Amino acid sequence: MISDSHAGRSYPPTEPYEVTRAKIAEFAAALGDDNPAYRGENPIAPPTFAAVIAGEAWQALWEDDELGLALHRIVHGDQRITHHRPLRAGDTVTATLTIDKVRVRGAVDMINSSVTLTTPPGEVVCTAASTFLHNREEQA
Amino acid sequence: MTATELQVDVGTELPTLVMRLTRETLVRYAGASGDFNPIHYSDFHARALGLPGVIGHGMLTMGLALRAVTDWAGDPARVRSAFVRFTRPIPVPDDDSGAELIVKGTVTKLDDGIATVQLDARHGEDKVLGMATAEVDIS
Repeated sequence: MISDSHAGRSYPPTEPYEVTRAKIAEFAAALGDDNPAYRGENPIAPPTFAAVIAGEAWQALWEDDELGLALHRIVHGDQRITHHRPLRAGDTVTATLTIDKVRVRGAVDMINSSVTLTTPPGEVVCTAASTFLHNREEQA
Repeated sequence: MTATELQVDVGTELPTLVMRLTRETLVRYAGASGDFNPIHYSDFHARALGLPGVIGHGMLTMGLALRAVTDWAGDPARVRSAFVRFTRPIPVPDDDSGAELIVKGTVTKLDDGIATVQLDARHGEDKVLGMATAEVDIS
């Protein structure tokens, strides 16, 4: 079971993710967003694109048997995204997840985690901090 | 991008953005984001988890809400950070009209070239995001 003793746990970085023009265009289209910054030769990615990459790092939480988390009983509570600069087409980043804090309220585990997106030279481009709520019991 | 200065004061209101989410919106977002949780496309799976039916992705709501900010700011690179609490899901029926999302924004703080925008995202009477804010570089 997950507990506060897991605070501070980090997972290995994800496989490098390459941000492409096509994926940025697809993501912007999914938001119905025709902002020219997302098109053309050197597009940047929409602010929430970071969560696409962070999502790959979240897998580590669901797959860590020691935490005992059931994905279908997880609710995304809140999300913060902080950009040191925008993600751009051509960037390659890895995502590293850390469990920051765990609180237990009755049958609900409140898990604060943060994912940093880092280029190979070590530049932190973005941090995505999430609270996940995990219900230990099946809903009636 | 151009670095034109935005004319901003505390109390400045962003243009209201009215959007419509249909099942097509959710399928597109699932593919673009890689979030294939079936509660976002299958009534069968959504009901099995006690939901009335398919609901939109929280991150889709956040992305759409931030469009109100980037449409206003022009250059999305101005957005330095954003925070949302996912307070209510948006049910998206399987029909042509889907679900409406209305996003309003107000500048609540100016500090050292950074404007804090407070966002109000509603589906009908429901406030779907709580404490939703974005920090925008207006220098």
